[in-house]
Amino acid sequence: MEKVNIVTQAQPWVDRFPLTGRYTYGVAGERFFRELKENGRFFGTRCTACDVVYVPPRLYCLRCFAPLEEWVEVPSTGTVHTFTVVHQDLDEAPLPTPEVIAFVQIDGCDGGLVHRLGEVAPEDVYIGMSVEAVLKPTAERQGGLTDIAYFRPTLR
Amino acid sequence: MGMRRVAIVGAGMTKFVRRALETGPELAWEAASRALASCDLRLSDIDGVVLGTAPDAFDAVHMKGEYLSDGAGAWRKPYIRTYVGGGTGVFSVIQGWYHVASGVFDTCLVVCEEKMSSHIPHPQGAFITIFDHILERPLGPNLLWIFAMEMNAYMNRYGLRKEDIAYVAVKNKRNAADHPAAMLGVRDITIKDVLDSPVLAWPVQRMDVSPIADGAVAVVLAADHVARRVTDKPVWIEGVGWNVDTTYWTNRDLSYPTYLEEAARMAYRMAGIKEPRKEIHVVEPYDPFDYKELHHLEGLLLADRGKAPEDAATGRFDRDNENHPDWLPSSPSGGLLGVGNPIAAAGLMKVAEIFWQLRGEAGDRQIPGNPKRGLAQAWGDLMQIGTVVILGV
Repeated sequence: MEKVNIVTQAQPWVDRFPLTGRYTYGVAGERFFRELKENGRFFGTRCTACDVVYVPPRLYCLRCFAPLEEWVEVPSTGTVHTFTVVHQDLDEAPLPTPEVIAFVQIDGCDGGLVHRLGEVAPEDVYIGMSVEAVLKPTAERQGGLTDIAYFRPTLR
Repeated sequence: MGMRRVAIVGAGMTKFVRRALETGPELAWEAASRALASCDLRLSDIDGVVLGTAPDAFDAVHMKGEYLSDGAGAWRKPYIRTYVGGGTGVFSVIQGWYHVASGVFDTCLVVCEEKMSSHIPHPQGAFITIFDHILERPLGPNLLWIFAMEMNAYMNRYGLRKEDIAYVAVKNKRNAADHPAAMLGVRDITIKDVLDSPVLAWPVQRMDVSPIADGAVAVVLAADHVARRVTDKPVWIEGVGWNVDTTYWTNRDLSYPTYLEEAARMAYRMAGIKEPRKEIHVVEPYDPFDYKELHHLEGLLLADRGKAPEDAATGRFDRDNENHPDWLPSSPSGGLLGVGNPIAAAGLMKVAEIFWQLRGEAGDRQIPGNPKRGLAQAWGDLMQIGTVVILGV
């Protein structure tokens, strides 16, 4: 195999590739985010055959493919399954303050949510930490993931 | 199963570079024509073409399969584009294999291309759209989140040290120094260099990650009777496997790739392999991050769970360490960390490396001891798919 000479200073032509999406929440997602927005509650769907509660809720069970019709309220508390401390933005510039992102396993459920952690220093976060959701005030909630402001260590 | 034996009879690749003057189709043509030349075949000898390339957004070209088709040699031929994210490079060979094994084609050209330099300022901007648009994108995700969280879960589960994981980056960048197509071969890199590199998203640091790149790779597949006419050194596809987990990575055990174990078991079964640690002589596991090579060696059942970092530290996976009692050279090419990571092309590069190693044509990278059987693996979609190909001579 011989080397190929590649010119690195190729003259570029610049153009854009603009796309904007308008997405629906889906049948299960609509109900989940409506409950979150209007009542500040988390709901999941339960598969009785597989004995699994899905949060965020699913319309069907990915294990047995049954439609899921049993809606159960679940706590807005959970455990840090894993986390990262982000130091750079998408353009690789340093963030003014490192940001903690965690995958929070919702208590008693299969799955959970990825979200920011707040009211905690990055060096104090650990896997297994108990956390709870902090919701925005009702008037500010729009029916989306950011209706949850962040998760914080559970106050005991 | 009534399938025909299929061999790889030729391979070729472009250099992997940060920004190529060549367009995507030009890169694809260069790799494909080299692969054909390597086995003295012409395009007219090819019955069908498989093209592997990752999301359209990476080249910033819509319908990339169609865009690349001429460069892949598909003009007026049966043609299909295949895509399973990062798993594409190895999966493209699986798709080519079943084209030929089924008897539909006697020869199949498999080409993978990626041109990631088109993005301003960084292809992460396109990559983040792989996150769920309802559940994750509202947070403004950074691509590294997902890998950083998986790496953290893996380290935490087994109490792993970063220096043992960083060893993989060192090994692969050193190996790549002997690869003529490599972008990031560094002979004198140390673990300290990796540990001192900037933190991107803890625990991921700059040198834990493979660089984005432009490049293309191609291989030529042939049915048994054709392969024996074309070459006296056919490299047989002995086993293939692939398996996908749920899209929702928040419904997965992040510390162990169960889907990869399933894919590996499928491939081992097909190849009649009972003891993979003895019967696989060289391995190219997918290494977009240093921890991923270790994670994948465990998923492939080539190391005990949580023990691959320890094995690496003993030199078990080094290229020239044949006196190690459990020697298993891993990523002798230099992998994605060293050669570069033009997504689909990088996966196919791993298959090409096993091809060259088994034919004794890997040059300064050649592992000693006449390896008879090797395995290439890739991983992708939303870190949910494992793709495995086992080659033998």
